[in-house]
Amino acid sequence: MPVAAIAAALIVPLGLDGDGYAIRVIALVFLFAALGQSWNIVGGLANQISLGHAAFFGIGAYTSTRLLIDFGLSPWFGMLAGGVLGGAAAALISLPTMRLRGHYFALATLAFGEVMRVVANAWTGLTGGPVGISVPYSAPGLWMLSFKGTLPFYYLNLTALVGVTAVFVGIRRSAFGYRLQAVREDANAAEVVGVDTARIKIQAAVISGALTAMLGTLYAQMNFFFDPDAVFGAAPISVRIALIAIVGGIGTAAGPILGAILIVSLEEIANVLLSGQVAGLSNLVYGLILIAVIMIQPHGLVALGPVFRRPWRVPAVDAAK
Amino acid sequence: MPASPILEMRGVGKRFGGLQALQDVSFEVRRGEILGLIGPNGAGKTTLFSTLVGLHRADAGAILLEGRNLVGLKPHRIARLGLTKTFQNVALFMDTDVLDNVVIGALLHHPLPEARVRALACLERVGLANIAHKRAGDLSFPERARVEVARALSTEPKMLLLDEVMAALNAVEMAEMMDLIRALRADGLTVIVVEHHMKAIMALCDRIVALSFGRLLAVGLPDEIVRHPDVVTAYLGRAYAE
Repeated sequence: MPVAAIAAALIVPLGLDGDGYAIRVIALVFLFAALGQSWNIVGGLANQISLGHAAFFGIGAYTSTRLLIDFGLSPWFGMLAGGVLGGAAAALISLPTMRLRGHYFALATLAFGEVMRVVANAWTGLTGGPVGISVPYSAPGLWMLSFKGTLPFYYLNLTALVGVTAVFVGIRRSAFGYRLQAVREDANAAEVVGVDTARIKIQAAVISGALTAMLGTLYAQMNFFFDPDAVFGAAPISVRIALIAIVGGIGTAAGPILGAILIVSLEEIANVLLSGQVAGLSNLVYGLILIAVIMIQPHGLVALGPVFRRPWRVPAVDAAK
Repeated sequence: MPASPILEMRGVGKRFGGLQALQDVSFEVRRGEILGLIGPNGAGKTTLFSTLVGLHRADAGAILLEGRNLVGLKPHRIARLGLTKTFQNVALFMDTDVLDNVVIGALLHHPLPEARVRALACLERVGLANIAHKRAGDLSFPERARVEVARALSTEPKMLLLDEVMAALNAVEMAEMMDLIRALRADGLTVIVVEHHMKAIMALCDRIVALSFGRLLAVGLPDEIVRHPDVVTAYLGRAYAE
């Protein structure tokens, strides 16, 4: 099934306008699915519900953009630098927060993200402040991650999603993944049988923060322009990433993908249908739909059962009938 | 048979706010023995176990495992030194299968593919290899207690603390668990058991430590302990009267 899904994703653009609206929306779905998947490493495997991942996302967006503006450095290097800084920020924030549980962890990370947003708004010398920052134009090409149309970002974001998903699946099956899941289930029991729970949590946070920051670079290059509220914002980034993973199915590889498809398309539909008439109503509708999904299916879309799962896992069974 | 102590507690104390949960507790555990730990509810048995494995930090005294002080070490360090415990209320990872519950302990000393083999061997040791792929949350209580033991064994401990693994077992299951504990001792393991069932403690243990209100009441052979006047007053008298 994963192979079929990737193949379909590769073929779809052939039938669409390469610079059109649909391609842009699907590219966003891929980006946010990848973000949800990075979040899933900490939120899903260790069940630490972070509401501050915008902090790492913003660090990535600003790091590569700053390096591009000041030194003309390729965003690929910017992405690496952003990944390092994002991982370091994740390590720093996980030191004081890792002993917090449940809501307390969520609130502490939310506060961290907001602090980063406020600092980014105030530090105009670095970020351009509330006015925003433009990603300088480069000659089109893969090396400078600069393109005329949206289609290249469609494929780049798809590649990122496949890569991050592979990291997630690899971790879940590894010894590290076993330890993370043990920490999630019962941290004391895990410690007593030899799991260094503090180290495991920090390692997961670093991987998740670094990947999120690297995706921030993709976002910056794709959008040409952004401001602190767009990349450090709680609602547009932190909460959205978490909801994508939770609504889709926390701790599963398919969850963030299904969640991103649902939430990004709902947002687009709501925007198109409603925002012209009543400002803010689209957010309300969006919120209500999320509440409905969480109340009806708290384990997420992946738990909708055989409808999704059987054909994904054992296509031979259905074929044999 | 003079056996050298594997573990020494020297004046161990632990306070939670206004409650002195352990006070000046000193005793030795001999290598290869089965030591019973008894006392009324609230005597500090579980606190003592938690302090030994590092879940609580002793605020007075020293705990020496083969001469090395454990006070201040985190539980995973202590597990690596060869001391671990089971949980009184069973702390299994309910949503994962039985084997994965045990693999986590085997990962302490082995990489993943081998850890699975070791974990399966530990399940075999406790007689549960046939349900290795059942979900832990679907097990009966006696089975859960055995999985706890298997998980502890998978860390390859020198010394194992069993916190009421016989609670809620019937007579047959209890006899089986006692056979298992004796077999583990025969393999060279040192075991401390907390149990309320006095007949089991008497039949199983080489020596017994009695606690009351966080203080050491008596240490001795089972026969000495049941006749010890302080123990009778604090614990057995009441238990036998019922």
